[in-house]
Amino acid sequence: MAELRETGGDGVVEVGAKSTEQKAEKMFNLKKWNAVAMWSWDVECDTCAICRVQVMDACLRCQAENKQEDCVVVWGECNHSFHNCCMSLWVKQNNRCPLCQQEWMVQRIGK
Amino acid sequence: MITLSKKLKQDAEKKQPKYPAVDDGRRVSIRDKLLTKEVQELEMDLPDSCKVHFEDVNKLSSFMLKIVPEDGYWAGGIFHFQIEVPEEYNMLPPKVKCKTKIWHPNIAENGDICLSLLREHSLDGTGWSPARKLKDIIWGLNSLFLDLLNFDDPLNIDAAEHFYRDRAGFKAKVNEYVRRFAQR
Repeated sequence: MAELRETGGDGVVEVGAKSTEQKAEKMFNLKKWNAVAMWSWDVECDTCAICRVQVMDACLRCQAENKQEDCVVVWGECNHSFHNCCMSLWVKQNNRCPLCQQEWMVQRIGK
Repeated sequence: MITLSKKLKQDAEKKQPKYPAVDDGRRVSIRDKLLTKEVQELEMDLPDSCKVHFEDVNKLSSFMLKIVPEDGYWAGGIFHFQIEVPEEYNMLPPKVKCKTKIWHPNIAENGDICLSLLREHSLDGTGWSPARKLKDIIWGLNSLFLDLLNFDDPLNIDAAEHFYRDRAGFKAKVNEYVRRFAQR
């Protein structure tokens, strides 16, 4: 550990080591540790507001029809994301984002 | 965000048979899957003045809502609403009828209701959206007795005109309807 000590008004700072304390017995001894990691999808909204399943999983309909592979994600200009199949059903009804009500414009489709 | 506990729960759910055996061999509809989740959270988050009742607990798509307003013109009345969730839910909104006769600018005497959320098609952004839930409908209906009450965009034009012409008379008619039709 280092210690800062001011030596008067001339602005010179002296740095000295506390050699006596280094020899002192350690307070803690680490014997074992477990690493814990967390992760999350790097997208604005991770649950499809339409079918309420996570966008990275297949939507309710595709799960029911066993079409998990074809279920992709669509992002709008508003940055909201949904399952492409959920959204294509909704835009037939009303061409607005279900979350922010802005006119729906596709920005990107993919996984 | 995915948490480990959520993931484990999902995996456990996947192991269970996906479709319970139904006599007619049909799969559980998307609507019924959505409703199973929604009804659970619905019952935990209702206004104090509202109560839902399922006549058939196996049929979540049809239920009654009872609203007992604590304040406002209709305080003291008991109003029953019939809510039917169509097969196309949540692309289409639930259908709601007021079963109690009422003198209200936004509810017709035949039970039709003017609430933007219930509108299937709307040019502005105020109509139904699949991001909405039954809970929003119930909070909306409850607000028709309070802050969503709107005399300027009436469905029952006679009631709205009555209010602007003769406020005391309007109040008296509301009370009379409450006494005659909304006691149980």
